[in-house]
Amino acid sequence: MNIEQGAELAVVQYNDKNGKDCVTIKKFDSQGKPDVAPGLARQLVTDKKIIGIVGPPFSGESEAANPIFNDAGIPLITPSATRVSLSSHGWKVFHRAVANDGAQGPGAANYIKNVLKATKVFVADDQSAYGAGLADVVKSTLGSLVAGTDKTDADGKQTDFSATVNKIVQSGATAFFYGGYYQNAGLLRKQLTAANWKGTLVAGDGVDDPGYATAAGNDAAAGTIVTCPCSPASKAGGSFVGDYKTKWGVDAGTYSDVAYDAMNIFLKGIDGGNTTPDKMLSYINSVNYSGVANTYKFTSTGELDPSLIKVWAFKFGTDGKTAPDQEIPKS
Amino acid sequence: MLLEIDNITLLYGRIQALHGISLEVDQGEIVALIGANGAGKTTTMRAVSGLRPIASGAIRFAGQDITRMRPDLRVVRGISQSPEGRGIFPGMTVLENLEMGAYTRRDGAAIRQDLDRVFGLFPRLRERMRQPGGTLSGGEQQMLAVGRALMSRPKLMLLDEPSMGLAPMLIQQIFSIITEINQQGTTILLVEQNAQQALSRAHRAYVLETGQIVKSGTGSELLHDPAVKDAYLGVA
Amino acid sequence: MNFVGLLHSLGPLSIAGLAQGAIYALFALGYTLVYGVLRLINFAHSEVFLMGAYAALNVWGLFSLNQNSATPATVVVIGLLMLGLVAAIIASGATALVVELVAYRPLRRRNAPPLAFLITAIGASLVISEATGVFTHRSITGVPPLIRPADVVTFGNLHITNLQVLIIVLALVMMFGLDRFINTTRLGRGIRAVAQNPDSAALMGVNKNRVISLVFLLGGLMAGVAAVMYVLKIGTVKFDAGFDLGIVAFTAAVLGGIGNLRGALLGGLLLGVVENYAAEVFGTEYRRVIVFVLLIGVLMFLPTGLLGESLGKARA
Ligand SMILES: Nc1ncnc2c1ncn2[C@@H]1O[C@H](COP(=O)(O)OP(=O)(O)OP(=O)(O)O)[C@@H](O)[C@H]1O
Ligand SMILES: [Mg+2]
Repeated sequence: MNIEQGAELAVVQYNDKNGKDCVTIKKFDSQGKPDVAPGLARQLVTDKKIIGIVGPPFSGESEAANPIFNDAGIPLITPSATRVSLSSHGWKVFHRAVANDGAQGPGAANYIKNVLKATKVFVADDQSAYGAGLADVVKSTLGSLVAGTDKTDADGKQTDFSATVNKIVQSGATAFFYGGYYQNAGLLRKQLTAANWKGTLVAGDGVDDPGYATAAGNDAAAGTIVTCPCSPASKAGGSFVGDYKTKWGVDAGTYSDVAYDAMNIFLKGIDGGNTTPDKMLSYINSVNYSGVANTYKFTSTGELDPSLIKVWAFKFGTDGKTAPDQEIPKS
Repeated sequence: MLLEIDNITLLYGRIQALHGISLEVDQGEIVALIGANGAGKTTTMRAVSGLRPIASGAIRFAGQDITRMRPDLRVVRGISQSPEGRGIFPGMTVLENLEMGAYTRRDGAAIRQDLDRVFGLFPRLRERMRQPGGTLSGGEQQMLAVGRALMSRPKLMLLDEPSMGLAPMLIQQIFSIITEINQQGTTILLVEQNAQQALSRAHRAYVLETGQIVKSGTGSELLHDPAVKDAYLGVA
Repeated sequence: MNFVGLLHSLGPLSIAGLAQGAIYALFALGYTLVYGVLRLINFAHSEVFLMGAYAALNVWGLFSLNQNSATPATVVVIGLLMLGLVAAIIASGATALVVELVAYRPLRRRNAPPLAFLITAIGASLVISEATGVFTHRSITGVPPLIRPADVVTFGNLHITNLQVLIIVLALVMMFGLDRFINTTRLGRGIRAVAQNPDSAALMGVNKNRVISLVFLLGGLMAGVAAVMYVLKIGTVKFDAGFDLGIVAFTAAVLGGIGNLRGALLGGLLLGVVENYAAEVFGTEYRRVIVFVLLIGVLMFLPTGLLGESLGKARA
């Protein structure tokens, strides 16, 4: 929704400026389902008028649909699919306008080291690919600051964390990074607070869910930091925030600014006469576009140029919701 | 008639164990039921106690049809049983086992009296009062099973092979006690392999063969019946 | 492997383990009671527990309390705890009775083979937990902070909280009460009789179905109390909360000797403590591995568990 409305806003503004309906947007709703996406993708590639795609928004459906777009040679820019492996399939049409999940580990570690200035850090994960991946990066980035480690069961499979809580308390750590998802994290936070541990829990975007505050209780949840390979849309430049609110009547949500930028990259390409998928693709591969959320330049695998990657920290408030805290400094 | 069994049949799955049995026990009698292994004696006893539903026929007790009555209610009506294999509660003490016999009763003082009566009949049980039932010898367990069956103050007591596994002297003893119990007013239906003893103690008896009654008569009649002698009394 | 850490944290790990183990123990009683009498593993017992947890939450919800509420005054808390316990006990007890009546009794009447009971048990468990999942949108529900953990004993790094004391004491009281009930009352004797020899029990005038209902009810009662302890301690409930806990509680029952009430207590407490020790020494991810190694080790030398089978010594 955020993404669709962001992209559509760009098209509407473009057509208004040029006085006619020279560009149309076609929406395909895959419901985020990997089993629905390929069918739509096949339907989409038969439409010869389509020269570019903003999306797909989710990683799972990207895995399923992107090979089809790749075969058809239609360039795509995803504003929100962050699974690291998406750029490793050799899809020449693939571009990612945000950082991938891999950026969260260094981001979280940098936040702990440079913002929290913690000297003793406890690191645990839930043994999932996502959680352990994050925790391993955090551990290696923090090096000797790590005061102890542990591994929990998968999310939702463990409720009593007394042993882990005891380890954290005994380690004297003032920051605790948890690689995992919101349920375990929420219970950990609640049980840590009950054990009178006053340090900060830092986690990846898997914990950025209202369920975290439900599990921990708002009081205990407050102060928890979650990282995101994204920037808050409310911090987007130009008149985007106001334009979006005027057009849609709601505040711009996560990734809507990136989708807006992604659509504008295509529109700028059309202005430059790139009206076939082939021409559009080579245009995007060499683009250097400055939008409302970021500046975009893609590497050969379709990732954002490393210097442009932004990771933000969000903080849980006493209302149980996250709010942007700050962009995490690179070092 | 205290107990009337009227043409009952009973099935274990597809196996028919009883093929229309009729027998009667009158108030104050000792009635013996004898027959070879697998004849259906135990099955008949289980049917009377309601442990196994019958397929057809009827059972009446003290004038009331109890064919479909729950087993626990039959105990309340006055039927108790000392089952084959004794069926004592091994994890309970001797005393608790006896108290289980009085499970349906609430008259504490009278229960005390009956305990004394049982201990009078089986002094050995008093000595072993606090011992778990499972640690008793086979003979002691048999005494316990009979004593326990007495504790409900039954009108009719079903005894399934009370002499099984007992030493000859104890067999004598248990049959005397059965006679004694009967003389104190309890009607008894007795199943026995030891036909000699059973028939000499019983007022009347029935002979069961493969699920059917083949003969009946007074104890001494059957004791002197050549066919019975041949088949069950082990005299050639 | 961190044995030094274990020595250093022996106190806190033991207390935390006992508190968790107390919940396992009360939960395990339900498995042990039903198994003792019916030789049936009532897999739906985990949902008996679940219903208790949701009942307590719903009652507290009537007072508009949730995880973000402030802790009420002590008198109010005591009242709410009582209400929660009563609601949980009623819900768990009723669930247990309904499961027995709807799922097991018809099978018993037809003399169904043990496998039919096993499948039915698993089915009943799934039906209740999945239905709860649908009703709750599979999301977690928070628990009002009726008891803010506060230290009542502090000794070095050992902090014993009010909640831990409450849980352990309540579990011991419930255990003691149940033990007395089973061992000294007439109904309790009826339960033991059915466990030791169902046919003989019937010959003594014990109504078997009533005893079975009673046993399910008692197990439900204990699970209801365990559920309240659980929600207070963990602070959330989810539709599948009973499942994982159920497996551990069942393990505790087997470890202590299934069918044996004191065994359930011993097994539960031991399991809670061993889990914590194992988590400290080998890492939390290994705690269940160690628990099962322990279980297998114990069963190798004591096939009927630590305290053996007591309700049902009958069938030796
Ligand atoms: N539970 C059962 N299932 C199937 N068949 C059974 C069962 N119990 C008994 N039977 C069968 O019913 C028949 C009668 O058995 P029952 O135990 O009544 O014999 P009985 O006369 O008491 O023999 P015994 O003198 O050996 O005790 C036997 O053929 C036996 O195999
Ligand atoms: Mg027999």
